[in-house]
Amino acid sequence: MAISEAVTQRAFVQAPQRSAATRLLEDERWLAAALLLPTIVLLGLFIAYPFVEGVLLSVTDTRVGVPGHFIGLANFKALLSDSIFRVAVWNTFVYTAVATVFKLALGLWLALLLNRNFKGKAFTRAFILLPFIIPTVLSTFAWKWMFDPTFSVINWSLFQLGLIHGRINWLGDPYLALISVIIVNVWRGVPFFAISLLAGLQTINPELEEAAAIDGARPWQRFWHVTWPLLLPVTMVVVLFSVIQTFADFQLVYVLTGGGPANATQLFATYAYQIGVGTGLLSEGAAISLAMFPFLLMIVVVQLLYIRRVEVH
Amino acid sequence: MTRIHRRKLLQLSGAGAVAAKTGGLAAILATSRAPAYAQGASVHWLRWNDFVPSSDKLLREKIVPDAAKDLGITLSVETINGNDIQARTTAAIQSGAGPDVICALNNWPQLYAESLIDVSDIAEKIGKDQGGFYDESTVVANNGKKWLGVPWCIVGARNSYRKSWFEAVGYNKFPETWDEYRDAGKKLKAKGQPLGQTLGHSFGDPPTFWYPFLWSFGGMEVEKDGKKVVLDSKATLESVKYAVAFWKDCCDEGGLAWDDSSNNRAFLAGTISSTLNGASIYLLAKREPDKYQSEKGTPLFQDILHGALPKGTAGQFSYQLPHTNMLMGYSKQQDAAKKFIAWIHSKPVYQAWFDSQAGYSVGATTVWEDDPIWSKDPVMASFRTVGRGAHFPGYAGPADRRAAEVLSKYIIIDMYAKAVQGMPAEDAVKWATSEVAKIYT
Amino acid sequence: MIEGAKWRRWVYFYIPLGVFVLWLLFPFYWMLVTSVRPDRELYRPWMAPNYAPFWTAHPTLVHITDLLTETLFIRWMANTLFIAIVSTLISLFCGLLAGYALSRLKFPFAGSLGTGIFITYLVPQTLLFIPLADIIRNFRLGDTPWALILTYPTFLIPFCTWLLMGYFKAIPRELEECARIDGATRWKAMLYIVFPIAVPGILSAGIFAFTLSWNEFIYALVFLSSAEQKTVAVGVTSELVRGDVFYWGQLMAGALLGSIPVAFIYSFFVEYYVAGLTGSVKG
Repeated sequence: MAISEAVTQRAFVQAPQRSAATRLLEDERWLAAALLLPTIVLLGLFIAYPFVEGVLLSVTDTRVGVPGHFIGLANFKALLSDSIFRVAVWNTFVYTAVATVFKLALGLWLALLLNRNFKGKAFTRAFILLPFIIPTVLSTFAWKWMFDPTFSVINWSLFQLGLIHGRINWLGDPYLALISVIIVNVWRGVPFFAISLLAGLQTINPELEEAAAIDGARPWQRFWHVTWPLLLPVTMVVVLFSVIQTFADFQLVYVLTGGGPANATQLFATYAYQIGVGTGLLSEGAAISLAMFPFLLMIVVVQLLYIRRVEVH
Repeated sequence: MTRIHRRKLLQLSGAGAVAAKTGGLAAILATSRAPAYAQGASVHWLRWNDFVPSSDKLLREKIVPDAAKDLGITLSVETINGNDIQARTTAAIQSGAGPDVICALNNWPQLYAESLIDVSDIAEKIGKDQGGFYDESTVVANNGKKWLGVPWCIVGARNSYRKSWFEAVGYNKFPETWDEYRDAGKKLKAKGQPLGQTLGHSFGDPPTFWYPFLWSFGGMEVEKDGKKVVLDSKATLESVKYAVAFWKDCCDEGGLAWDDSSNNRAFLAGTISSTLNGASIYLLAKREPDKYQSEKGTPLFQDILHGALPKGTAGQFSYQLPHTNMLMGYSKQQDAAKKFIAWIHSKPVYQAWFDSQAGYSVGATTVWEDDPIWSKDPVMASFRTVGRGAHFPGYAGPADRRAAEVLSKYIIIDMYAKAVQGMPAEDAVKWATSEVAKIYT
Repeated sequence: MIEGAKWRRWVYFYIPLGVFVLWLLFPFYWMLVTSVRPDRELYRPWMAPNYAPFWTAHPTLVHITDLLTETLFIRWMANTLFIAIVSTLISLFCGLLAGYALSRLKFPFAGSLGTGIFITYLVPQTLLFIPLADIIRNFRLGDTPWALILTYPTFLIPFCTWLLMGYFKAIPRELEECARIDGATRWKAMLYIVFPIAVPGILSAGIFAFTLSWNEFIYALVFLSSAEQKTVAVGVTSELVRGDVFYWGQLMAGALLGSIPVAFIYSFFVEYYVAGLTGSVKG
């Protein structure tokens, strides 16, 4: 405050035409308010307000074109006994958990590989981000064609290599369908993990590892006791981002399987879409989406607490 | 700061949404809709991607200019994947903007009843002029009080099958009962030529096979009064058990993931021997004989015939896909759209479209049974009468919104899919019954 | 390098790296081959004896030309470009201001506002799109690009804000203090001193935002109706699957061409993109 007073005094000498508005904006609070106004307006109008509307929608029995009446928590009660919903919840958790584990493991491995110096390193690093850059819908179509039961190139390759004798029903068998969706998600996500973890790796002082090597630690031990703990903060943030995205994933499943076969790959988002927009049962769709929120919040809170703990260390 | 923000936006856009906030309704309407006053009204018609591409071509190349000439309207035809029509309709109704006329499938008009304009005057006239609508068309487009839409056509479904392959296993005629079909199928699958049917989530082939399958065993969802759910019956259980055996013995097991076009592709590629479908397989093979050849090198279409769905213990049933043109309530061109609907359903205009379909669909009115097209190709002859006697989901109850909901949730199809994937038949039936009951209460 | 024998280098390094690169990039090669493969080869089942997936003896440009002439693909690209650019600009603007405020200014509720912006990121789009459709209808924005331009910032702004917060935190406060001692107003100092230094961050955030809006699907699917208004993602998905035939040739051509603008911009700004990614992760 003293500084700003000094500034205003001097400013009076140097810039006599200070408007009232400018003076107002000198105050941190007013400046902050002005700066945050566009964001708050946009987010308020297009997230906060619709969110409240969405919650209201979920406690009515609105259908498309038909305004609904308040029915309390009936939609949610119905969801509890909806077997497809239970399947969707289970699928979403499995999908997110398995995909994240693989993305982390493979991403880490790739990051470690890229952390070395080799010819064409910059080139490689740039190219491998492509799966992450390209619109999901478009690359998923390529995978859909690669998995097609009648025309699959993957089947052909495995067959030629003698690894299979019949056909693998990638998108038709319920377990395989879930695996296929996970494969495509992992394919998309590994570059994100790899590049982020690579950046994390590059901030680790190599002398630490060398010191450990001199002390006789084997590569695996060096990694586990030196590299990994230092990498943990970055890892947790990347995992957090990824989990949020994967949990609410829609595009990938929509294009690849549409939730099938027989709901084997149905997720929260795809089911909400099918019920809400597809069948026109808007309030039930809203209830399904809303049901996603507490799970997501819980996962995020747990991760944030973990991150906080790690940072304290 | 905020003022600069708005000005910046205005500069970038020229008008648009910000005008709404600063109060220029006329400005928005002027910029977001192309001014059509010079040419007359414009009507936006949404349809599915026709399985007979030449019909879509006809619409764009002949119907659109004709509409401009005869009615003075600018017609724009948009075609999307049939599976997306429902979502588009919901989204359009919710956001208050979208196509003026939507050609809905199945009994979807019942789902949107409150958002549609009453077109009883147009429908009644067309029905009177053209010998009356088929029962199936009426049941889906009329909710007992008014016409929700004007029935457009019925897409016929028959089993397309490989004549030579069936002959090779001893069937010179298409099998007439499920047992015969299963027997043929077993022999064919053993030769690597399985039957193919989809158990996936799609609007066309799954329901047109599995609902009649259920009905032919005597199973049904509700009683005639539309209140009592009777899915949980011995007949249904029988049908599920039979389906599981039938699937394993005869069908291409990739069918669980198929949509409406997968069986077409599989048949044309020669990996399956028979499938219930519209006539699109045959028509496509006939149109491009060099591209689609049998394993002997002969044109494939010469080996394709059409058969009706086999009979079950309760008789022979079928479900043919009805199409209905709905006039949307949010449309700003209701008068022009009404004129358009009356015009396009009129016999001379419809004739051109009907001809381009080459028998793939029948008119929704009975007069089209007498059209000379049916004597042109004997392979297509059986499609002439598909409109008669077809039943609709919700049988034996009315084809109302609850039936539409059961259909949209694929409950019946999933009942069979679950059983095929290993769930005990009793559990599958119980599950389906409880889901249907939830909708019908 | 990996110490030890050459075989070690191959087994532990080259081969895994090679497999990764192959796996990550094969689908793009597949897209390319499929787009130039003639139809009669395209529909050959994989069990057929002459199935040759990895190359084609008769490459053809017919899919690409059909895509460009028979569909509104070019229009879709233009739409998507317009929407992406404008949403990015809006989000950058808001994110820049908000990021500065949250990271450099002291004011009540700063912490909770920051958390609040984070929470909005968690709200699922499938919950919002029906109420948003109502808002869109009330503003008469249905079936126009503005429906998207105003809704995309809802997920772009939180992201840009965090990213830029990270950059701002790294800029020493002394710079501003000096400027203000010299007589500059607070916001002039922000505008002329801090923002120029944060330009790399702004570029990163901008490119990331552009990529994210190019990739968006649900809102575009629900709010856009006519074929002329569609974005590439929605157009390719809804219009290239026609009835019987998934026009795979055109679909893959569409997928390939639809990815090019993003890949193009990305190739010029790789460093910024990577910095953005890692900055967001650390910040």
